[in-house]
Amino acid sequence: MQPFKYDDGDSSPQGRKNVWSSLRGNFGRRNPRYERGGYEPQPSHLQEDDGSVLMRDAREDPQIRHTPYSTRRDKRRVKWQNEGHIHITMWRDRKTPRRGMGENTQDGNPGSWFKITIPYGRKYDKTWLMNSIQSHCSVPFTPVDFHYAKNQARFFVQGVGTASALKDVSYKIYDEENRKITIFVNPSSVPYSVRYKLEPEEMEQLKLTMNKRYDISQKALDLQSLRFDPDLVGHDIDIILNRRNCMTATLQIIEENYPELLSLNLSNNKLYGLDGLSDIIEMVPTVKILNLSKNELNVVWELNKMKGLELEELWLEGNPLCDTFPDQPTYISAIKDCFPKLLRLDGQELSPPVITDTDTPCLLKPCKESYKGSDALKSLVLQFLQQYYFIYDSGDRQGLLHAYHDEACFSLAIPFSPEDSAPSSLCEYFKESRNMKKPKDPSLCVQPLKHTKCDIVGSLCVLPKTQHDLSSFLVDMWFQTEKMLCFSVNGVFKEVEGKSQGSVRAFTRTFIAIPAGNSSLCIVNDELFVRDATPSETQNAFSNQEPTLTSSSMPTLSQEQQEMVYAFSTQSGMKLEWSQKCLQDNEWNYTRAGQVFTMLKNEGKIPEEAFKQTT
Amino acid sequence: GDKPIWEQIGSSFIQHYYQLFDNDRTQLGAIYIDASCLTWEGQQFQGKAAIVEKLSSLPFQKIQHSITAQDHQPTPDSCIISMVVGQLKADEDPIMGFHQMFLLKNINDAWVCTNDMFRLALHNFG
Repeated sequence: MQPFKYDDGDSSPQGRKNVWSSLRGNFGRRNPRYERGGYEPQPSHLQEDDGSVLMRDAREDPQIRHTPYSTRRDKRRVKWQNEGHIHITMWRDRKTPRRGMGENTQDGNPGSWFKITIPYGRKYDKTWLMNSIQSHCSVPFTPVDFHYAKNQARFFVQGVGTASALKDVSYKIYDEENRKITIFVNPSSVPYSVRYKLEPEEMEQLKLTMNKRYDISQKALDLQSLRFDPDLVGHDIDIILNRRNCMTATLQIIEENYPELLSLNLSNNKLYGLDGLSDIIEMVPTVKILNLSKNELNVVWELNKMKGLELEELWLEGNPLCDTFPDQPTYISAIKDCFPKLLRLDGQELSPPVITDTDTPCLLKPCKESYKGSDALKSLVLQFLQQYYFIYDSGDRQGLLHAYHDEACFSLAIPFSPEDSAPSSLCEYFKESRNMKKPKDPSLCVQPLKHTKCDIVGSLCVLPKTQHDLSSFLVDMWFQTEKMLCFSVNGVFKEVEGKSQGSVRAFTRTFIAIPAGNSSLCIVNDELFVRDATPSETQNAFSNQEPTLTSSSMPTLSQEQQEMVYAFSTQSGMKLEWSQKCLQDNEWNYTRAGQVFTMLKNEGKIPEEAFKQTT
Repeated sequence: GDKPIWEQIGSSFIQHYYQLFDNDRTQLGAIYIDASCLTWEGQQFQGKAAIVEKLSSLPFQKIQHSITAQDHQPTPDSCIISMVVGQLKADEDPIMGFHQMFLLKNINDAWVCTNDMFRLALHNFG
């Protein structure tokens, strides 16, 4: 069976429409088999056992080598990726420079080299793969000459200890499809870029040449047609960037001299592969503008290797791969798949991506303790909930239209006990009795899913009028990426009119939201479960209520009035109820209310509890 | 059946999950992946290994879950979010209410759980 297609990183409304239609269209009536994750182990003939004799040689080489260049910066950083997976990228302190690794160690013993092969490694992103391996490996290692060949990913390391530690990582890592990753370790000769590394004089001249091509004001380095630079030719230095040793040397110089490089031009260098260049992702991740035009890149897959750079501008014209597309839109789409944040391609402005354009606030600032949610995130959610329930509890829930996405989903469930002879008072929640399904499972009443914000708000408006006890709320933020936030609220509320007036209910509501303008949130999924509160919950409800200034019959606020209350609350720093009172007292004259507020505040006449606490 | 696909998948997963949990929760590793995250009563655990370790080390021998309500929705990125409310009984302790949410994702024709959030209800159900 082919269940829904996994949409890579496309959580735009258009993407959601496709999901919705694919949900309706793409499967038959078969019941899906629920499968366990995991697969059968690899056939035994693929399991490695060669080279194991060598592993037992306990000689270990020192990992730290003499670095002739200036100090390496500590490059630890944490980076978040999207797709609902939280990846942690840690750049290790690079104590082992490529240059220092010759064939001899400091005490004159040969440092043995090993080739590390990951079969089927071709499908893994280099950064993810290296980080996964490093996180499982007991010894820090520096991969040399990482490249993809046929189905495999390959790189080299030096030292028996390192190689042995890497061998132990085999079968320890699970990929995203729950397959175990195998790592083969074999002795090898010195890798290319090390064997043919540039001489110090060559490096020096290359550096001087590159300096001339560097524009410090733009942080741009122009290396087009580097091979034919008169300086290099004059000194008989052949810099063919296709060759790993040359590319490595070039990147090293960039890393050391232009560590915050923004723009790199590699046009006209006959590049047919990007394995070598992909090392730049770890070495100089600041690059946002990349010119690869007029090279020999054949397939878009090569560009995948550069995904780790969050490019804003890319030049590709003049590569064979450009001719493989039937039309411009397909070409652009394929490139955008690779670099979702791309703004310009071949000099042409692209339509900005729906969510990730620069105006939209990033929900998650990269920070180390983001699992728990940064404080900014917490207060964003709490503020959102305050506003949401303010409207929800006011007379008119139409205002909630702003809070929902066009394609949002909402569902409501209540427990239903078959022993009740009289229908549960909760059945008030299903006023649209036409839509109530005859429950197959008699213990549960579930209203069918509401889709689109109009339908949702329509059905919310019909639910009994409520007053929520905000102080009872327990908020769990349990999932966040740059594009999506998921949190649950547990709490109680009271029904304030109708047959069940005074009844206290307990609820659990889960929201999935995406960032919206004005540092606010937009709901895409809303799941609500309501049940009767227990006697002890009822007793404790509303006991911590702050003195509200509204009279017992809560006036219904118009949309405009609600907006005034928020704005006032944001500007004055007072809680919503107090802001509302101030505006009401001043006949909803915003300016006058503001003046009165300022005056009272200066006179110290406003109590502290009127103000919002900063969480 | 007539049920929408996400309900079928969600309820199938839920059934499988609690069956595994109640019979032998050390086997739960199969439904998580390395990128999964569990939030258990506010504490976070990342990765299949850490999650299974937490669940296996919970301080009870016998456990039984009974589902009061479950609800499923599709999400914008083709995942499924499932909500479960129910009761559980551990060893000889009194019955407690709980509430759990799962985020399910399809990876190579198998549905795995990428996020799991569990909370005990503050008070017993009636």
